[in-house]
Amino acid sequence: MTALASIRDLSVTYRGDGIEVTALKNITIDLHAGERLAIIGESGSGKSTLALAIAGLLPLSSKIEGSIEWFSLPTLDAVERRTPKSHSGQNLTPLLGRDIGFVFQDPSASLDPVMTIGKQIAEVARTHLGLTWQQAYAKARTLLERVRLPDPDSALRAFPHQLSGGQKQRVAIAAAIVAGPKLLIADEATSALDTIVQAEIVVLIRRLVAEDGMTLLFISHDIALAAELAERIAVFRHGQLVELGKTAQMIDAPAQAYTRALLDAHIGLDAQPLLNRSGLNG
Amino acid sequence: MSLLTVSKLTKRYGRGGKTLAAVDDVSFHVEPGETLALAGPSGSGKSTIARLVLRLIEPDGGGIEFEGDDFLALRGAPLRVRRARLQMVFQDPLAAFNPRATVARVLDDPLRIHGVASRSERPRRIAALLERVGLAAGLAPRAIHEISGGQRQRVAIARAIATKPSLIVLDEAVSALDVSVRGQILDLLLDLQHQERIAYLFISHDLGVVRAIAHRVILLDGGRIAESGDARTVIDAPQSAVGKALVAAAPRLDRSRP
Amino acid sequence: MSRLRRFLRTPEAVAGTLLLAVLFAMALSASLLFPGDPQAIAGPALLPPFQDWSLPLGTDRLGRDVLAELFHGARTSLAVGLAAAAAALVVGAIVGTLAGFAGGLVDEVLMRIADAFQTVPGFLLALAFVSVVGPSLGVVVVAIALGTWTGPARIARAEVLSIRERDYVAGARVIGMHPMEIAFREVLPNALPPVLAMSSVIVAAAILTEAALSFLGLGDPNRVTWGGMIAEGRTVLRTAPFLSIVPGIALVLTVLSVYLAGEGIVETTAVRRGLS
Repeated sequence: MTALASIRDLSVTYRGDGIEVTALKNITIDLHAGERLAIIGESGSGKSTLALAIAGLLPLSSKIEGSIEWFSLPTLDAVERRTPKSHSGQNLTPLLGRDIGFVFQDPSASLDPVMTIGKQIAEVARTHLGLTWQQAYAKARTLLERVRLPDPDSALRAFPHQLSGGQKQRVAIAAAIVAGPKLLIADEATSALDTIVQAEIVVLIRRLVAEDGMTLLFISHDIALAAELAERIAVFRHGQLVELGKTAQMIDAPAQAYTRALLDAHIGLDAQPLLNRSGLNG
Repeated sequence: MSLLTVSKLTKRYGRGGKTLAAVDDVSFHVEPGETLALAGPSGSGKSTIARLVLRLIEPDGGGIEFEGDDFLALRGAPLRVRRARLQMVFQDPLAAFNPRATVARVLDDPLRIHGVASRSERPRRIAALLERVGLAAGLAPRAIHEISGGQRQRVAIARAIATKPSLIVLDEAVSALDVSVRGQILDLLLDLQHQERIAYLFISHDLGVVRAIAHRVILLDGGRIAESGDARTVIDAPQSAVGKALVAAAPRLDRSRP
Repeated sequence: MSRLRRFLRTPEAVAGTLLLAVLFAMALSASLLFPGDPQAIAGPALLPPFQDWSLPLGTDRLGRDVLAELFHGARTSLAVGLAAAAAALVVGAIVGTLAGFAGGLVDEVLMRIADAFQTVPGFLLALAFVSVVGPSLGVVVVAIALGTWTGPARIARAEVLSIRERDYVAGARVIGMHPMEIAFREVLPNALPPVLAMSSVIVAAAILTEAALSFLGLGDPNRVTWGGMIAEGRTVLRTAPFLSIVPGIALVLTVLSVYLAGEGIVETTAVRRGLS
């Protein structure tokens, strides 16, 4: 199995106002090329910090230790980026937008409210692929078709507020993958959506990742959702990696008590009702 | 007699010259001590119904009867007095409190407004409320933004039960919580229902949770009732299109337990 | 503690605060250092500055001690500026909160009144008011506030309109809180920060308006004001320019210090809010 990136002893500390908060402690994970890896954790587990660290999106005030080494990526001109220094001689640095696509939880926040959908996607295509505007718009239209947006032609000219939450997330995904990134990071990308739309977006992500041979990093608080999508699951808690393993093994035979607790806390459609029916005596 | 009877409730919104029915001819009832769940995708009207029932917004048509009285006819002071019996817990416990508030102030307000306890007695009542929802009484002087999300939701529940309500509207009250906290909050809600015979109107998009804690469920779609009945019967074998879609979309954890 | 540290790291804010502290010290010590009437004759007329060390800044046309006048004038300027700004902020915040929270007819009426006040330039309004009622310290304060309250009112209203829709306001209604209590205890305190952010500009403008009124002879005649001093020196501008220049510089420094200190405070509190 070829590696896409290897994260070694990564620690991230947020600094502000004289207070230091350690968000990640000595994380070591290998990202395999073409795999679907889910990062699971509750609030404060550091899962989003890991996503931001990999994407080079950590705030300038944060302190980063350890390394992220990238393989099978084109060498780039030196760009000032917030990624941990690579110790290897190759010094490959991925570029967000071109080599890494990032989908955030809130699509409204990641889309420009006064720019048309078409232009937002076309701009990414122009920046990273060196296309003309005309080619970029054609590319944007293809992408909108690929993310199954109804009526892609009119969607090109639409503004974000004219779309529903699920449609906006489809546009955000289109913009994230337009430059053909090797790695797609979805940070709670379905958490703000209702169950039906969430299921559609998960289907979409799975299909796009398979078609383009992308590596997927799926950040979620929902272990059931992650289990449906990912081949490997990493469980995070308080900034530390609790357990990492193949999905089937994590679900059926978790080694750690915390993973088991997360699994037990899931309330699925087959869960034992909590309701004590004697409470109703009317 | 039902605790809450909602009949032919309608709420329309004007949007770009067109009127859109957010809630369209919805009728249901809630019995004392019962949990009725309203479930559906976003835009199905479930949160609008919650706000209508609480008189946070006014309906365009229909009636709401609460504890035998025409709830929509109440205005001003009589409405505020009656609110003691009909409470709410919001989805985001941080947004549901004044950002400057302390735990004590949040719990003091309903006790003071409804004259539940005298000024000198209130600190003791606040401590008792905190203990009732599984929190330490020492939490009272803390600021709302200092405590954890799970603690906040417990404070929200404590505030809701401060005035001994007969019905609490839970608007996605466990959706934003961490899973480990969610189970504890659900246990607390069920325990309160069992002890105090409080009825819940449980608004949720999560059918798994609905099936686990609701007696009956109403599935909503586009502001209308698509399907209703016993929670487990409906969710185990949905008949409506939206019911089937919701069940199909729920994430499944296939565990082969040892 | 950290807020103070951040404040101290902003040099212009520190400079403004120090300058303002000096001005306050001047105002407070005026009757201690210069007891008696500053408008009394203290020496020969039109004595230039730095000639007689008992009268360091010299005397004016009538032989009054310029330094004593400057100290007593600081008192009037600061008092009127702060009082007028405080009145404008309080009235503006209350009106804006009522309009934004009540909505409907109340909002319409209050905002049309605000429109009416805003169509007349603030200074003309103050001028007219003082001319009609007659000059005294209280009237000048009211006159300046009349032309200033609309700004805070509009900002408070805009803020209240957004806060009104928040869950915690709905939560307050659900527990049966009276609308007036919701408006003034729950909503208003949270709408204040952007209103208070205007306060430095409002105080500075109020000090200037007061000076302008005094310059036109519409200040309290029983008090020394910098505007009055400038007007006084105007008649002998060619022969004794220092009589206008000294209070003019005092005015510039006051306005500048109020502005710098105010901005510094707003900046540090804003950063804090952004973090938490």
